[in-house]
Amino acid sequence: MYSRGPVIVMELPETLNHAEGQKFVSELQPLLEVHRPRIVLDCSQIQHMDSAGIETLLYCMQEAMKRDGDLKLAAVSPASATIMELMRVDRLFEVFETADEAARSFQAVAPLDDPQSLPWYSSGFGLADLKIAS
Amino acid sequence: MGLNSHPRMPRGKQVKTVTGTEIPNQKRERTQSVGLGAIVVIGAEFEGVRSSAPLGSERERPLAEPLACIDVLGRSMTERTVDRFVRAGVEVISVLVPVEMAHMVQPRSISFEDLKIQVVADVSSAVTQKLGDFSRDGVEHAFIVCASVYTETDLLDLFYFHREARQAATRALDSEGRLNLWVVDCAKAYHTDLEGLLAQAEGTAASYFIRDYVNRLTHPRDLRRLVSDALRGRCAMRPSGVELKPGIWVDEGAEIHRRARVVAPAYIGRGSKVLEDTLITRCSNIERGCYVDYGTVIEDSSILANTHVGIWLDVCHAVANGNKLLSLARNVTLEISDRSIMRTISSVREESRNNNLDFYEAQQVITELDQQEQTVEPRTSKAWQFGANLIQG
Repeated sequence: MYSRGPVIVMELPETLNHAEGQKFVSELQPLLEVHRPRIVLDCSQIQHMDSAGIETLLYCMQEAMKRDGDLKLAAVSPASATIMELMRVDRLFEVFETADEAARSFQAVAPLDDPQSLPWYSSGFGLADLKIAS
Repeated sequence: MGLNSHPRMPRGKQVKTVTGTEIPNQKRERTQSVGLGAIVVIGAEFEGVRSSAPLGSERERPLAEPLACIDVLGRSMTERTVDRFVRAGVEVISVLVPVEMAHMVQPRSISFEDLKIQVVADVSSAVTQKLGDFSRDGVEHAFIVCASVYTETDLLDLFYFHREARQAATRALDSEGRLNLWVVDCAKAYHTDLEGLLAQAEGTAASYFIRDYVNRLTHPRDLRRLVSDALRGRCAMRPSGVELKPGIWVDEGAEIHRRARVVAPAYIGRGSKVLEDTLITRCSNIERGCYVDYGTVIEDSSILANTHVGIWLDVCHAVANGNKLLSLARNVTLEISDRSIMRTISSVREESRNNNLDFYEAQQVITELDQQEQTVEPRTSKAWQFGANLIQG
């Protein structure tokens, strides 16, 4: 594990099954429990991954999103990508060639100072504007 | 319908490319009866029959079975090849399998009654021996072909070309190069060195140029191309079974749930079961005895015989065989150990029975808990009727 600014990069184990997934989650859990966690999971070491492994990835992503953070994947092998596509989770993750690229991508979009001050649907025009326009 | 007279196939003029010796332009005599034989060699990895066995590595042979023995739209390529020889009037046909591949060849892949598959240690000497047998039995000429080569050329035309050329061996070729298809003179081949004879066919002798459809079937990618071409009518190969709606072929005993969506062109093989909310689309073929579970999407993919595809999956641009999945997009083969995702099944009936049992047991529990009398509806009800399926033509 290492960090690039506010971004934590963690390497996934060679085998990502139920047992290894549990172990990995227990290591990652404290990092997920901060405000807006920014996690990059480096998948370059993965040799075997099963449905429990996919579940682990989904759990981590869910935990990160609960706290207004995000989780991105890096160096996903063709075999892992195929498994993810087969199980329809490939579209849920942002995937990058390298962990550095993934870490940089967190800084590409500047975060809002106070994300709670604006509602998610506010983008200049409201429903009332649309009604007037029509 | 003749071998090359399929209405959808644009047939150009049959042009022979003569390499080496020029053949005099003379009218071909087709009335004379000549004994014809054929030797079909199973094993797509063979470059030729001259040497025995450079078997492909796992990387080159991702589906375990030789492609010639895999069912494609209801019939194996070996069976189709033998059938073409039978229809061309070939009298004696032998199928040879190298001993290294014998365990991979299922007897059912060739369903001709009088045909026996012969397991041989050395293909080259077995072919020579077989040519000798042919010669003694009065068979003058023989085709030698690798079972995986699919061509729609007129085999008799190839034979007449060979006879007119008055050469010991003639090799077929197409725009992409040489094909593993020869016609040889049995007596000459037996009395001379077979390797030298076939080398001569490549060198100085005239070759027969094929302009018709050819698929070498050396890689699962070729298999996908063949399926796509056959379903789109780009070649004369037709799926077995009936065309329920334009472009949708369903074989005997296949069951498609009324809420499954099958988009043409597609093929559902014999005894396969496609459950509700599934989508079969873009030239996909589900071969014999497969089970496609709830909500799964099969897109531009081949599901080979006796494969169980689990719930809610996306199989795209792939070939699946039991628990092996070859992604053609990424060129990677996965062996899936999680049996809930993909596995080999012995029979769909057994699979269905297990599911029905689970369903029945669940219903029983509910009945006991609620203390109510409930009738358990069997799963094989109206849901499995073809007419009510959401099939787009």
